[in-house]
Amino acid sequence: MNDAEAIIDISGITKRFGSFTALDDVSLRVEVGQKVVVLGPSGSGKSTLLRTINRLETIDSGTIIVDGHDLYDPGEDINKIRMEVGMVFQSFNLFRHKTVLENLTLAPVKLKKIPVSQARQQAMQLLEKVGIGDKAASYPIQLSGGQQQRVAIARALAMNPKIMLFDEPTSALDPEMIGEVLDVMVTLAREGMTMVVVTHEMGFAREVADVVVFMDEGRIVEMADPDTFFSAPVHDRTAQFLDQIL
Amino acid sequence: MDEGKSSSREVVEIGDGAAIPDPGDPGLFSAWWISFIGTILLLVGLPLTTPDPYLRIVRFLPDGILITFEVTCASISLAMVIGLITGLGRISRNRFFNLAASTYVEVIRGIPLLVQLFYIYFALGRFVRVPDLVAAVIAMAICYGAYMGEVFRAGISSIDFGQTEASLSLGFNHRQTMAYVILPQAWRTILPPVGNEFIALLKDTSLVSILAVSDILRRGREYAAESFNYFETYTYIALIYLIITLILSKLLSIMEYRLSYYERR
Repeated sequence: MNDAEAIIDISGITKRFGSFTALDDVSLRVEVGQKVVVLGPSGSGKSTLLRTINRLETIDSGTIIVDGHDLYDPGEDINKIRMEVGMVFQSFNLFRHKTVLENLTLAPVKLKKIPVSQARQQAMQLLEKVGIGDKAASYPIQLSGGQQQRVAIARALAMNPKIMLFDEPTSALDPEMIGEVLDVMVTLAREGMTMVVVTHEMGFAREVADVVVFMDEGRIVEMADPDTFFSAPVHDRTAQFLDQIL
Repeated sequence: MDEGKSSSREVVEIGDGAAIPDPGDPGLFSAWWISFIGTILLLVGLPLTTPDPYLRIVRFLPDGILITFEVTCASISLAMVIGLITGLGRISRNRFFNLAASTYVEVIRGIPLLVQLFYIYFALGRFVRVPDLVAAVIAMAICYGAYMGEVFRAGISSIDFGQTEASLSLGFNHRQTMAYVILPQAWRTILPPVGNEFIALLKDTSLVSILAVSDILRRGREYAAESFNYFETYTYIALIYLIITLILSKLLSIMEYRLSYYERR
C-alpha cells in the first residue's frame, strides 16, 4: 500500500474539544482514485476526521498532507488546497440567495477567473449529469432535499477537484430521495474520483468502497475491504456495530 | 433573554421606527391607510381652507425639508459605513478590532443623542472649523453607527454557519465569503431594521435644529417666532414628519418584499 501514491496522508492526528478527545492518534492514507467509506456510531469522530482533510476542523497534533501540501505549513495557501478538495455537507448548504446555476458558477468565476459564459456551459453540463438541468434558474429553496444535494455535489464538482469529501450526504434526506443522491455518487466513483465518504448507507459502502474504515471513540478500530469488513470483522466492537445497524 | 426572543434568531427587530405595513396584517395595513389619507387631507386641506397662516407656512418650510433630507441621507450613509465596520469588528476574532468596536458601541449607547450632538459639535468646533451641517451629520452618524453596528452584527450572525463552511470549502477566503455569500444574505435580514433606523434617524434630525441647522423644525421655529402662529406651525410640521415617515415605511415594505425573492417558493 505504501508503494502507491497517497493523495491524502493523515498521520497521528489528535483533536480535542475542551476535555473531549474527538480524534485520538488517527492515521489514514488514501490513494489516488480510492474510495474510502468511514462508518461508526455518532460521536465516533468520523465527521471530525473528514472535516480535518480540508481544515474546516483544525487539529491539535499530527500532520495532514493533501496532494503533496502540508495543511499546517504556514507557507501553504489553504484556499488553494481547498479548491482541489470538494465537499458535500449533510445539510447541503447551497447559497440561498443564488440560483442553482449561480451556485455552480460563483467559485469558478471568482476564484479560477473562468469566463462567465464558459462557467455557465460547464455548470449546465454538470447539472445535466446530476439530472437537474431543468432547475438551473430555480432558487435552492424551491428544490427538494434530494435535488438540493445533487446541486451541492455539482457545485463542488464545478471546481474540478481532485478529491471529494462527503459528510453524511443522505442523512438529512427523506428515504425516497436517498437513492437519487447515491446514484450520482456511484457514477462519480465509477469515473475514478478519489472519495472519502462518511455515511450510514451500508449498501453504498459494499458497492463502492475500496476500503471501509470503522471508527469508535475517536480512533480507527478497523480498516478493511468491504467483503472482509462486512463478513468477517476482526474486532468485537465492529461486529457489535454491524449487528445493530444491519 | 427570554425564550421567545432567542428562538426567532433570524428576525432582527429594533423597535424604534414606524410600524412597517405588512400586506398580511390587515389591521396595521388599514391603520397605515387611515393615517396616510388623513395626513394628506390635512396637508392639502388646511392651506386651501385656511390660507392664512397655512399657505404661508407651506411656502416657508420647503428649504427645511430639503435640509432634513440632506442630513438624513448623509448621516445614514456614513452611519452604515461605520455600522458595517463596527458590526464586522464585533464578530471579529481579532482582539483589538473586536474590543475597539465593542467599546465604541458601549460608550455611544450610554449617552443620549442630544448630549452627543452637543458634545461632538462643540468638540469638533474646538479643533477644526467645519460647517454646522457637516458637524451635525458627523454627530448623527457617529451615534447611529453604533446602533447600525448592532444591526449588522445581528444580521451577519443570523446567517447559518453552513453557508460560511460551504464557501470556505470551495476555496474562498474569509473576506470573499463575507462579500459574496454572507453579506448579500445578511442584507435581507438587515434591511427592515436599517429602514427603521433610517426613519428613526429622520425623526431625530429634528434635534439638529438646536445646532443652527435650518431643518424643518428650525424653519418652523423661525416662522413661528416672527408670526406667533405657534400652534398652526407645529401642527403643520408634525404632519410633514408624519407623511414622510408613512411614505418611507411603505417604501420599505415594498423593498423588503422585492428582496425576499429567493425565499419564495
